[in-house]
Amino acid sequence: MPKYVMVIDVERCIGCMACVIACKKENNVADGYFRTRVVEEVRGEFPYLKMELRSELCNHCENAPCIDACPTRASHRAKDGTVQIDKKKCIGCKACILACPYDARYSTPEGVADKCTFCEHRIKEGKKPACVETCLGKSRIFGDLDDPNSEVSQLLKKHDAAVRLEFAGTKPRVFYINKKFAGGL
Amino acid sequence: MIEIGITGTNTITFPYLEVWDWRIVLYLFLGGLSAGMLVMCSIANLRIPKQPVEELAQCVRAPLIAFIVLAVGALFIIFDLGSPFNLIWGYLTFQPLSLMSWGTWGVPIVLFANALYILAVIPKDQRHRLKFSFLIKISEKLALKMRPIAKLNFALGIFLGIYTGVLLSSFSAIPLWNNATLPILFLISALSSGAAMIVIIAKKAEIKFLFTKIDIWLIVAELVVIALFFYGLYTSTAPYKKAIEPFFSLTSEHFIFTVALIAIFLLLPLALRIKLGELKEFQNEVHEEFTKAQIFRMNFAAVLVIAGTLILRAAIVYAGQLTKLSPY
Ligand code: SF4
Ligand code: SF4
Repeated sequence: MPKYVMVIDVERCIGCMACVIACKKENNVADGYFRTRVVEEVRGEFPYLKMELRSELCNHCENAPCIDACPTRASHRAKDGTVQIDKKKCIGCKACILACPYDARYSTPEGVADKCTFCEHRIKEGKKPACVETCLGKSRIFGDLDDPNSEVSQLLKKHDAAVRLEFAGTKPRVFYINKKFAGGL
Repeated sequence: MIEIGITGTNTITFPYLEVWDWRIVLYLFLGGLSAGMLVMCSIANLRIPKQPVEELAQCVRAPLIAFIVLAVGALFIIFDLGSPFNLIWGYLTFQPLSLMSWGTWGVPIVLFANALYILAVIPKDQRHRLKFSFLIKISEKLALKMRPIAKLNFALGIFLGIYTGVLLSSFSAIPLWNNATLPILFLISALSSGAAMIVIIAKKAEIKFLFTKIDIWLIVAELVVIALFFYGLYTSTAPYKKAIEPFFSLTSEHFIFTVALIAIFLLLPLALRIKLGELKEFQNEVHEEFTKAQIFRMNFAAVLVIAGTLILRAAIVYAGQLTKLSPY
């Protein structure tokens, strides 16, 4: 089983939102909904302010509370290690949406849960997720952490990476490098 | 001054989630009420051990009302499901870590046991109302097993009363809910509303008096657990401490929580006092007839208790969804 992860180089994001749109287009995300977002966070004491542009999406957690919450096994871990939703089995109870500490999920107009799939259909074909492919600043980097030669393995070796809400114990697979606000993730 | 500004692009999940609405509130309320009624009428029916089995049932309408209340509650949760037709998948598996799965299996099981209870307590002279002869036969047989059926319904009532609290407390992403006192609070308030409902429907003075007494202790326990609930959150880490803010903020957008506070902390104790007053009056003459004013006072206090249970659930469901682990 590969261990797909996404590394987000916070310094390289220019906030163009191309990833947000690419994802929406690629996955036919319903009007008004998004599977990924770029959060603009400003901190500090005026005039000494710092800004971080931070992409947020489903972390495909190793210890995923959304899977535990699901009564039908619609939310499950796929063979490739990513966290996926089988829409045919989803009853739309929204338990997984509440269980996710990252606000990564939403309920579609059809009444089922939805979220980022790491572009499951593309990685099957050896392609990268649409947001990664389109990222102008090369802020989003995707790959297999089990392969020591992959770009993500190299980056995580070099940098002191952080995950969001580490104390929640969900073991995310989306890592942030060159972050400005390590604590606030 | 620390300035923090956030611009989120996902309007649906930002800045907070509100995915469960009034339908879930009503389910939690009706499920709790039904659970409380099952426990309380089982207590009433198990209380007197020496009478012949046929005359044991003291509380005969409560199981029927509990059944209707739970069935209506279950309808509300089904209305809330985005794809109820996929529910079949819920019955093709059992997920012990998913409290939703416990509910999916638990509610029909409780309804089934409750149906047996209804048949077991129907008085002899009313059985002809069942219309179908097989039902009358089943009812005759079940009447002999009334005590074990009452015990089963007592246990299932406790399960139904506590599991909704466990469901909410299992969401570690929601600080206000992720608290071990919440299941206890839900259970006690369910039992209290059940006792109040039985006070309202009971015809016998003795039963009304019994449940008035029981409810006083339940309300006292509920007030203690509410205090512990807030205390536990206040002494915890930042997200948990922040989670109780809406309850102590008087700004208008949090008005419902303020109303809840008034109802829980002021109206319920008021109901309690009304009940204490009753207790004194009836102490020595329990079996006397009630005056109209006394019955009104008792029923009014019981209605307050039931309203408090509803408001408590609404406040916790809505306020909980405003709270999150992340700092923004
Ligand atoms: S980020 Fe949320 S939805 Fe994604 S795997 Fe983790 S808990 Fe589940
Ligand atoms: S909404 Fe669907 S995927 Fe989420 S917990 Fe319910 S059944 Fe599972």
